[in-house]
Amino acid sequence: MQYGANARSPLPAAAGIGLRARHHLQVLEQSSAAAWFEAHSENYFADGGSQVECLSRIRERYPLSLHGVGLSLGSTDPLNRQHLANLRRVVERFAPALVSEHLSWSSVNGAFANDLLPLPYTEEALRHVSERIAQTQDSLGRQILVENVSSYLEYGCSALREWEFVAGVAAESGCGILLDLNNIYVAAQNHGFSCDDYLRGIPTEAVQEFHLAGHTRIDLAGRSLLIDTHGAPVCDAVWDLYRTATQRFGDVPTLIEWDTDIPELEVLQAEARKADALRAAA
Amino acid sequence: MTSLHELQTRFMDALLGDSPDRAIPLIASPAPVAAARLEVYRNTVRSNVVDALRSTYPVIWRLVGESYFRRVTGEFGSQYPSRSGDLRHRGDRFPAHLAELHHDDEYRYLGDVARLELLIQDAWLAPEHPPLDLARLAAVAPEAYEDLRFIVHPALRLFESPYPVRRIWESNIDPGAEPEPIDLTAGGDLLAVLPHRLQLRFHGLGRGEWVLLDAMSRGERFAASVDAAAARDAEFDAAAALHRFVALEAIVDFM
Repeated sequence: MQYGANARSPLPAAAGIGLRARHHLQVLEQSSAAAWFEAHSENYFADGGSQVECLSRIRERYPLSLHGVGLSLGSTDPLNRQHLANLRRVVERFAPALVSEHLSWSSVNGAFANDLLPLPYTEEALRHVSERIAQTQDSLGRQILVENVSSYLEYGCSALREWEFVAGVAAESGCGILLDLNNIYVAAQNHGFSCDDYLRGIPTEAVQEFHLAGHTRIDLAGRSLLIDTHGAPVCDAVWDLYRTATQRFGDVPTLIEWDTDIPELEVLQAEARKADALRAAA
Repeated sequence: MTSLHELQTRFMDALLGDSPDRAIPLIASPAPVAAARLEVYRNTVRSNVVDALRSTYPVIWRLVGESYFRRVTGEFGSQYPSRSGDLRHRGDRFPAHLAELHHDDEYRYLGDVARLELLIQDAWLAPEHPPLDLARLAAVAPEAYEDLRFIVHPALRLFESPYPVRRIWESNIDPGAEPEPIDLTAGGDLLAVLPHRLQLRFHGLGRGEWVLLDAMSRGERFAASVDAAAARDAEFDAAAALHRFVALEAIVDFM
């Protein structure tokens, strides 16, 4: 069934910060640590304990988004019922403004890579993943957002451009889109397409969140390849893309995401202020 | 045209197996470029295991160093492939794996250090519980105590080792602090691990106290628990132990 977009989303347009366990206590000590937080759903699957307790206290004071990394939406294995039940439980417990997952796969035949692997951009994959997103939305009783992932290769069988695939999935499943601008930039550089073409191909009404993050560049087989490490500051080119995206999509809640070599909270707060300043000037 | 399932099966085999060749024709690049791009994903899968285990076993990482940690966790990842999208339990078998690897060499304490780290993670993930209702306990007639079954805190974990694992852990958990030299023959540990108000706490236990808590956590009656403790510890003082465990909130209820 179709679920209403999170149109009255209580997430403010001001930039939020990806919540990491090492910052929990500091966040609780500060009076205004961020406009909102996004937490990885799987980190709070436990029955209780300090992680859950910390997030409960943070939730009392801040708007929250829950972002999953482990549902393997694009897998051809049956949707993992236990994982979905755990997700439903954290969604009920923390009542987040948004719930998101990745437009990718990470498991097949019961084996897990625990990585966000790209899907082939085919009609078959589009129908398959849309059906699974619809099942997830039915299980949670609400709309979810799906995020475009970084990729380092393209499949020979892909018949659609990535943005056509993302837009098609949103139309088919009724999900919203979490547009990761760093991931678009990484994929565009790695595969030689235009970020502007990508943004123009995404329906404006479907986009409910942006992610901003950092990447690194490596030399591979004589060519440079961008790797989405989520472990560096947002680069200038991605800030430029953010300006363009805010012009096209408007004031969309923006998240500063940092997953590896996690710096001090102040570094993330400075990146969030930079996003706010850019949006205010746009 | 390759079906989605066939593509995923070949791709996953290439990521987890030794030979990625069968996946190369799936990739829209010349073979050498495709092989290099596939290797990026293979490296990520390998480093994800290392990262997942590093977050559970930071002291092992510090003790053995990055190079050995990467090697041993990489081998562990190949031997025990992931079966879940939830990484919390990715490294549950690691203490036993490490203990087996070093069962007869000078690093035989490593398995116990890893066991303590896993137990700490497990304790952090357990639910909170309000303290014991003392008024309710005070209303129990003294002669009725022996039939009570005390309920321990859901986050309480008991740990025993012939090595001074607590000191090893405390000396290595802060990556910025210089670790102190530790004499492995300085005596072992009998510990209760219990997070309290977002702080991790270790409580050293006497043998009788350890046996008492162990028996109570298995649902034994108080009288049987005390008998078991007294049988292992001639100095055991049941009243003092009960007082201590109530004060520590190691005991949170009874029935």
